[in-house]
Amino acid sequence: MTIPSSLIETTQVALLLAAAPLFTGWVKMVKCWMQGRTAPSLLQPFRDLAKLFSKDVVLAENASWIFRFTPYLVFGVSVLAGAIIPVLSTDLLLSATADVIVLVSLFAIARFFTALAGMDIGTAFGGMGSSREMTIASLAEPGMLMAVFAVSLVGKSTSLSQMTAVISQGGHAMLRPSMVFALLAFILIALAETGRIPVDNPATHLELTMIHEAMILEYSGRHLALIEWAGMMKLYLFTVLGIAAFFPWGISLNNDLPAIAGALVFLFLKLGFVGMALVLIETGLAKMRIFRITEFLGSAFLFATLGMMSFFMLE
Amino acid sequence: MNPALKESRSRREFRNEVYLEYGAADFHDVCCSLVKDHRALLRLMFGTDERLRDGSFRIYAVFSIPGQDRFLIPVLQLGDKESSFPSITSEVPAAQWYEREISDMFGLSPEGHPDTRRLVFHEAFPAGSHPLRKDWSITDEEKAVWGEGRKINVPHPFMEVAGEGIVQIPVGPVHAGVIEPGHFRFSAIGETIFFLEPRLFYTHKGTEKHFESFGFSDGVRLAERVSGTDSFSHGVAYCMAVERMMGIEITEKAAAVRTLGMELERLYNHIGDIGFLCAGTALAVGYAKGAVIREELQCLNERLTGSRYLRGVNAVGGVTTDMLEHADDLLRTLDSVTVEYKSMMKLLLSSVSHVERLENTGKLSRDIAARLGVTGVAARASGLADDVRKSHPHLLYDRMIFEAHTLEKGDVLARMLIRGEEAECSISMVHELLESSYRGGLTVAVKRPEAYASALGYVESPRGSLFYWVMSDKEGKPFRVKLRTPSYCNWPAVPFAVHGNIVPDFPLCNKSFNLSYSGCDR
Repeated sequence: MTIPSSLIETTQVALLLAAAPLFTGWVKMVKCWMQGRTAPSLLQPFRDLAKLFSKDVVLAENASWIFRFTPYLVFGVSVLAGAIIPVLSTDLLLSATADVIVLVSLFAIARFFTALAGMDIGTAFGGMGSSREMTIASLAEPGMLMAVFAVSLVGKSTSLSQMTAVISQGGHAMLRPSMVFALLAFILIALAETGRIPVDNPATHLELTMIHEAMILEYSGRHLALIEWAGMMKLYLFTVLGIAAFFPWGISLNNDLPAIAGALVFLFLKLGFVGMALVLIETGLAKMRIFRITEFLGSAFLFATLGMMSFFMLE
Repeated sequence: MNPALKESRSRREFRNEVYLEYGAADFHDVCCSLVKDHRALLRLMFGTDERLRDGSFRIYAVFSIPGQDRFLIPVLQLGDKESSFPSITSEVPAAQWYEREISDMFGLSPEGHPDTRRLVFHEAFPAGSHPLRKDWSITDEEKAVWGEGRKINVPHPFMEVAGEGIVQIPVGPVHAGVIEPGHFRFSAIGETIFFLEPRLFYTHKGTEKHFESFGFSDGVRLAERVSGTDSFSHGVAYCMAVERMMGIEITEKAAAVRTLGMELERLYNHIGDIGFLCAGTALAVGYAKGAVIREELQCLNERLTGSRYLRGVNAVGGVTTDMLEHADDLLRTLDSVTVEYKSMMKLLLSSVSHVERLENTGKLSRDIAARLGVTGVAARASGLADDVRKSHPHLLYDRMIFEAHTLEKGDVLARMLIRGEEAECSISMVHELLESSYRGGLTVAVKRPEAYASALGYVESPRGSLFYWVMSDKEGKPFRVKLRTPSYCNWPAVPFAVHGNIVPDFPLCNKSFNLSYSGCDR
């Protein structure tokens, strides 16, 4: 039985909205276990979101349209990004319209507006957060593109569906040196982009050390809920992007029902595993000094470049 | 050996306190010469309103000279018409806050002080109102205005740093976490901190004035609540001052219980602080481990005394409970704590990313620490061997085996290592205390103090040296209680430690000092 690709697309977006908070909850849960604490329920992120949605919005007197518009934009962009990454199947309605370069730009748009919103209300923390976020972005984005190019050389396309299909059929794709370098670069960049330790600390209350949190410090109510939700989706999206590019096995190449069901099972297994790996990184490392991030992301760029070079020289 | 000082108008010796009364010019010269020529430490400085007694204000400056167990206390007598005294801040920077506070509380302005702004009172507090004067009163209208905090009676301009690329970052007094209030005004160039001016005293509660409305025996309950994690130290220092003033000696047993309490307090504070540093570097496992061990120790406190903060143990004349009876529980808990603590330190020191954040961060130079009169862990991490337990032995510390560890570097890591070494010292001291038995009951009878008797009480609290000075009135009630917390000495050093660091490292520097806002503001 074949499922129409429009239905697959809808399922994927629904999955994105539901699985992103679940994944965040899972990461928190494992983190608590690692620290010997009692973990909150897996559904806690949903409760937090529900709480925020039911609260009133408090707006700064001098907030402009940018401040009010940004949460919706960031949320919309995240949903759109979820529609073009092959999560369950490579046969997606939107896969032909947007390739991986568009994906990177989508994240860039969201970041651009968040940084503007951070500066919009004119508080010291917003400006500080925006300045730090843009510093990181200017280093992370080139590295991200290079890593993606290295993968698309192996996948012979910049279309995500195409890349995923080629790599999953290639069998021994992961044994290529270019893919190993690209994966290393991708992990470093994903940590920086999603604001995890050792680059940023999503759980901190120390406002002076914040990067991403400093920009959104003035948000409240449904605005904050949308931004928080988008943040969870970003973590989920980077994870599924990594899975699609480096570990695509299990993602269905056609729209058969059993294959899709299998893809779903594989997805949850992989998410569970990635969550644990993320917690290992986050608990084992302390947050680095902010000026060290240049070295951190510089090495990501280096790995990505090595990946591309080794493709031409070794493969 | 006594330092050669100018001839005083009158001289009074009481235990290890030497009071020397001077006129204005001599007072200034004596204080400066003590610091310059004899390397004396300014321990505390305060005013009293003794107009009811002999028509004069007095300013006391308590110094201790390294290597001697005695306090030299030059006293400045001022007539009731005088409104100023010569400032010693230019020569003795450690006096800067004391002099401004005397100005706030008594309306005696320090002549020649480089900073004439008010210290304790914020803008809304009425001008010309000096609460520690005995004839002070306040109208209901004025009270209503304080609460609002909006009306500006006396402006408080912040120090401005001008220049291209310099950004002002105002932080607080309300913070993102559940912590006490304090305002920090950073002048930063990009991320680098060029200048920091803290604004404190948001939690000023008029504690010293409040003591005057208690009896001496009840005052201990207020003293225990000045600063939560130093509760026991405050209790001991207050009781010690009152007991010395009354002329009573506590029993050996009471002294042993107090020594035990002091070390238990030091232990849970130091281990907790080492864990808290990990919150600054986002090392979650270290933070969790520190919190677990601290909790075990605080549960032990509760089993021993009924209070997690060891409150209610101290009383004037001795102690209320014999903690030494619970030797088994103490030893059992300490053994498990020792194992966990060692594994935590091993984990922290082997984490390269953690140590890398602490090293060379928030350096406080020995010179600045000495000049500002920094005390406790911060002083010892910067190479100053200052420990009241050693320099002015009290309780049972003269017969205990321990070291006042010092390190030279003065960075966050040095402060953490000093805490670690002192925590291990405290564990071994508790073991040592439990080995012997002690004579005497828990309390001795309280005496009525003589009229206008005064005395010092002092301990080395987990944060550093803590001083109380009490004076009785004609009826034997409290006339003046001065308390000087270690946080009060160390806050002015924080801006020097963070200079040249980056803004996101400020919480880490601040945590490594771990100063109490409540204790500083009183």
